[in-house]
Formats: sequence, C-alpha cells, structure tokens
Amino acid sequence: MSLLRVENLHRYLGEGDTRCHALRGVGFTIEPGRTYAIAGHSGSGKSTLLYLLGLLDIPDQGQIWVGDRETSRLTDDERTAVRNEHMGFVFQFHFLLKEFTALENVMLPMRKLGRLSEEAMRAKASDLLVAVGLGDKTRRLGTQLSGGEQQRVAIARALANDPGLILADEPTGNLDHTNADRVFALLSDIAHQRGQALLMVSHNPELASRCDHVFRMQDGVILP
Amino acid sequence: MSPALLIALRFLSARKRAMLMSLAGIVFGVAFFVVTQAQTAGFESYFIKTILGVNGMVRIEDRIQSTRSLAATQGSDFTIAVEGSVKYIPGVQYPNDLLGALKRFPEVTAASPVIRGNATLIANFREYDVKPYGIELASFVNVSDLDTQIIDGSLGAFSENPYGLILGVRIAKRMNLQIGDSVLLDAAGEPQRFRINAIYETGIDQVDRERVYLHLPAGRSLLNKPVGASFIQANVVAPELAPALAMRIEEAVGHSTLAWQEREKTWLQVFSVLRISSALTISTIIFISGLGMFNTLVMIVVDKTREIAILRSMGYTREDISRIFMLQGGIVVACGVVFGCLAAAAGTYALSHIPIRIRGIFASDHFVVLWDPWHYVGAAVIAVIVVMVASYFPSRRAARLEPGSIIRGSSS
Ligand SMILES: Nc1ncnc2c1ncn2[C@@H]1O[C@H](COP(=O)(O)OP(=O)(O)OP(=O)(O)O)[C@@H](O)[C@H]1O
Ligand SMILES: [Mg+2]
Repeated sequence: MSLLRVENLHRYLGEGDTRCHALRGVGFTIEPGRTYAIAGHSGSGKSTLLYLLGLLDIPDQGQIWVGDRETSRLTDDERTAVRNEHMGFVFQFHFLLKEFTALENVMLPMRKLGRLSEEAMRAKASDLLVAVGLGDKTRRLGTQLSGGEQQRVAIARALANDPGLILADEPTGNLDHTNADRVFALLSDIAHQRGQALLMVSHNPELASRCDHVFRMQDGVILP
Repeated sequence: MSPALLIALRFLSARKRAMLMSLAGIVFGVAFFVVTQAQTAGFESYFIKTILGVNGMVRIEDRIQSTRSLAATQGSDFTIAVEGSVKYIPGVQYPNDLLGALKRFPEVTAASPVIRGNATLIANFREYDVKPYGIELASFVNVSDLDTQIIDGSLGAFSENPYGLILGVRIAKRMNLQIGDSVLLDAAGEPQRFRINAIYETGIDQVDRERVYLHLPAGRSLLNKPVGASFIQANVVAPELAPALAMRIEEAVGHSTLAWQEREKTWLQVFSVLRISSALTISTIIFISGLGMFNTLVMIVVDKTREIAILRSMGYTREDISRIFMLQGGIVVACGVVFGCLAAAAGTYALSHIPIRIRGIFASDHFVVLWDPWHYVGAAVIAVIVVMVASYFPSRRAARLEPGSIIRGSSS
C-alpha cells in the first residue's frame, strides 16, 4: 500500500476576476522511504499542490488518500490529527516560536500527540537536534540561532512525531549555497534512513535532480 | 502542564507590559470593589444593629378595627384614627393579654410593653421638650441594647429608684445635667420630680435628643394613662424573619404589627442604592481593564498569526488555539482575582482602623466594615465575566485563521 495517493486533483484559487485554475487534474503516488521533488516555473501550482497534500487546504475536485484513508470527508479536527501524526512540514521560513527554545520547539508536536512522557519527549527532541547537528544549541531561543540553524530546528520539529511524510516547500529557498546543500542532504538522508517519504518543492534544479523522483509541473498539471 | 497552557504563558510573556497593565487594572478594580462594598455594607449593618438595639425588631401597636364594630369602642377614651377603610384604635389596651398571645409564637424571643407620650423637662430654670418612654426594665433590656448604650451612671441605680430617669446624651448636654441631678417632668400640667440615674447614647440624633426612659408605672402616672401601653416591642430569633412573623402576629392578635425592615425602609433603601451605585462605578475599572485585555489579546493574535498557522499545521486544532487565548485571559484574571482579593482584605483591614467620628444615625469612632465573603465572590464573578468576554472574541478570531492561506501568504 502506498503512503499517499492522489487522483485527479483540481483547485481553483481566488474570486471573480482573479479566479484561476491552479491545479488541473493532478494524480500520483508516494512510496515510503523515497524522496520526491516538485519542480516547475513560478506560478505553476507547486505550493498549491503541497498544501492540498498536507491537508492544509481542500481540493475542489479529486481525492487524497493517506494510507487507506480517503480525506475529503474528514472534519477539520480529523485532518488536523492526521497532520499531527503522519506529516511533518518544513517551510521556506522556519516559523519557530520565538518564546520557546530550540528543544521546546521540537517538543511542540509531541506534546500535542501526547504519547510520550515529559522526559521521553525531552530525550527524543534532544536526539533529533543532535541528528540535525544542533546538539550543543538545544537551549537557544530561535532568535539566538542563524537562519540555517533555525531551518534545521524546523526540520527536527517536522520529524518529531516520526511522520510517514515530510512536506517541504522550498526549505532551502532562504539559505545560501552551503547551507542549502546541507539542509537538503540532511532531509534526504533522514528520509532514506528512517523510511520516511520526502516531498520537496524546489527551484534548485541541482537539488531536485538528487531526489529519487522529480515531478515537473507546468500550468497546474504534472508533465509526464 | 498542558501544551495550551504552556503556549499561553509564553505568549503572555511576549506582551508583558500590556498584560501587567490589564492585570493591575483588575487587581485595583477587584480590591476597590470589595473595599467599597465592605464599607457600605459595614455602615448598613452597623446602622441596622444600632436601630434594632433602640427600637427592636418588631413593634405591635394600634388595634385594627373593622368599620362595623366601630360602635363598640365609641365612648371609650381612645381616639379613632381613620386610614382607608380600616380603623386604628391607638395603643394596646390590654398589654398582658397581648404578651400572653405572643408567647404562642416560638420565634418571639422577648417582648416588652412601652408607654410613650410627650412632656416638658424642667431643670435649671429651663424647659426642654422630651418624649418619655415608660419601660419595664427587666424585659426592655431583652428587646434593646439599652444596657450597652449607657455611657454614664448605671441601670442598677435606675432599677432601684421608682422615679429614676435615663436621659439621652444630647439632652443632658443641652440642659447641662449630670447623674444625680433632680429634674421635673410635666405632661399634664402636674409636674413630677425624677432623679437622673443614667445617661445613654445610641448615636441616633433623633433619639438621643428627645427620648428619656422612666419606669412603666411612673410613666403611666406621668402621662395619666393608668392602664394599657403604647406599643409592645419584641425581638425574634433572627432579624430576617421579622416581616413574615409580623404579618402572622398582626393576623392573630388584630394589632398593627410593624417589622423593622418596613419601619426603616427609607434608610435601608438609601444604603442599598449607595451599595449598588458604588458597585457599578467601581465595576467600570474592571470593565476598562477588560477592554485593555481585549486590545492586548488582539495584538497578540495579529503578532502571532504565523505561529498560529504553524501550530495548526503541526496538529493543534482550532479548539487548542482558542484555548490558548482563553487561557491567557484566564491566567490574567486568576492572578487579578487572587491579588485583588488579598489587596482588598488588606485595604478593608486598614480602613477599619482609620479613626473617624460618626454621629447622627449611629455612633462610631472609626470606619465600620463588614467582612463578607460574598463581596469577594461578587468581584471575582464580575472580573471573570468581563475578562472571559474580552478574551472570547480574540480567541475566536485566532481559531478561525486558515493555516494554508497564512503560510502561502508569507512564504512566496
Ligand atoms: N489567493 C490567490 N488568488 C488567486 N490566484 C492565486 C492565489 N494564490 C495563488 N494564486 C495563483 O495560483 C497559481 C499557483 O500558485 P502557487 O503558489 O501554487 O505557485 P508556485 O508554483 O508555488 O509558485 P512559486 O514557485 O512562485 O512559489 C499561480 O498562478 C498564482 O498566481
Ligand atoms: Mg510556491
């Protein structure tokens, strides 16, 4: 069984004059333990697709299966629970909560899931920060970290609940070349090691080509 | 600690100064509310205590006569007052019968007959109009606080002297009279001699400057009313039972019976209006703090829009987000109520020690306060309602944010 399957996705955005057919029938399958890139020109619908897959948005037509579960009829709370347990997000901007330390930021998804004790959460978050190379900066607030470091904390946070799928929208878009390389390597290594799938939107053709599979998008469809 | 509470605390710390302002407003509001209530209620209850100590809880007075049996009483020397269709025959003609009848009411703890009239007090070649009250001392002390109102002389001396007299403090001052002085009382053109055995002070001007107490037989002789009494003053087990009981007594004995609540209606209304108006005025402090709170929370929602979106994306539900903001209100109001109540207790204690001389409707030499837990409950309820309403709208706004469009809007 595939991790995620979508069929014939359509999405219109905007109202009236600005209404635009952003996705025009997209379908594909994501398998565990593999890395996928979505490449395409600006405005081709990459982010729109990613938000639909992440259940942050609802398609106008088409189905999204997470495992064997069809998601179009789920309530907002059920979709939220699926995100919490099965998905991890990394965005172009890291969105760390700045009143929380790196460690506490990583613990936030675990607190919501509520399956681990306080100590276990702490230990696991600590391990994740070690994995992203920030073992010595767990007590820093977001504002006391560099852009690349903040993005690595965001990656650790996305991995907090061991999600099957990591969704990343231009995770390296805001970073310099070295940091971009490092963050990408980290994401793809972790995905391969832990059997998690990575779906990444990227403008960087070099990084995209290092993924197991590349979806090329144009005008709301995936090119064959 | 629940994650929502943890996040609420951290978000609050991001707007520390604005939150402390709202908190201070709530603390002040709650404290002022309680202190003003403690003080107005203190004065009210002290007034009630004073007035009960003077005039008792219930008075049984004029006999009620239906129009048909009016003829039967014509010829007696009682005058007839007409009020509506009911006739009142002034006074109590057979006080002993009435006292006997009152014994059948177990709620009546004590009853004492009193005869009342007008007289002129003559001393030091001066005259002064007074209202003599003929009392039966042994029972009268059970329906009044006369024993504690004595500020000079003693009730013991009065009880041993058939022509003893107890003078209001204002009369004694005005007429320059002391214990042991001998005075004349003139009611019916035949002055009688009395000796001052005690001086009382109730604090109620009206009473202290016109009422003198003498023994019931002496009063009857002075006022030339050989039998009967003007009214019977009675106490009941609890002051709040008086109105219902008065109605039952009136029905059973056929005498107009007045409870203290009815008798002192005007003053009681003044006090309750005072209390309500001060509660309303002070509530505006809490209300304004609520507005400040609302403002701050709206700012936090705007400030934290991205954080809310990311929390939603990582699995926090709309309800969690709403709870985070309601909890911020909850934390502030909880602190506000706790510190407000502590400040209120300290303020009330301090106030009760401020010296102030009050005479007129009661006698006190310091602020009178009433310690009533309900004042604290009332202030807390007002604060909680105001802050929760003020938190509700920002929290709903936060919960309604769409994570997808926020993240889209801020990423590319
Ligand atoms: N709120 C909106 N109203 C109308 N049209 C919109 C809205 N948001 C996006 N669009 C349009 O939808 C299309 C797809 O947008 P999307 O953000 O998915 O593009 P993208 O591939 O992620 O682009 P980029 O590489 O620049 O991030 C674009 O043509 C865009 O103009
Ligand atoms: Mg995009």
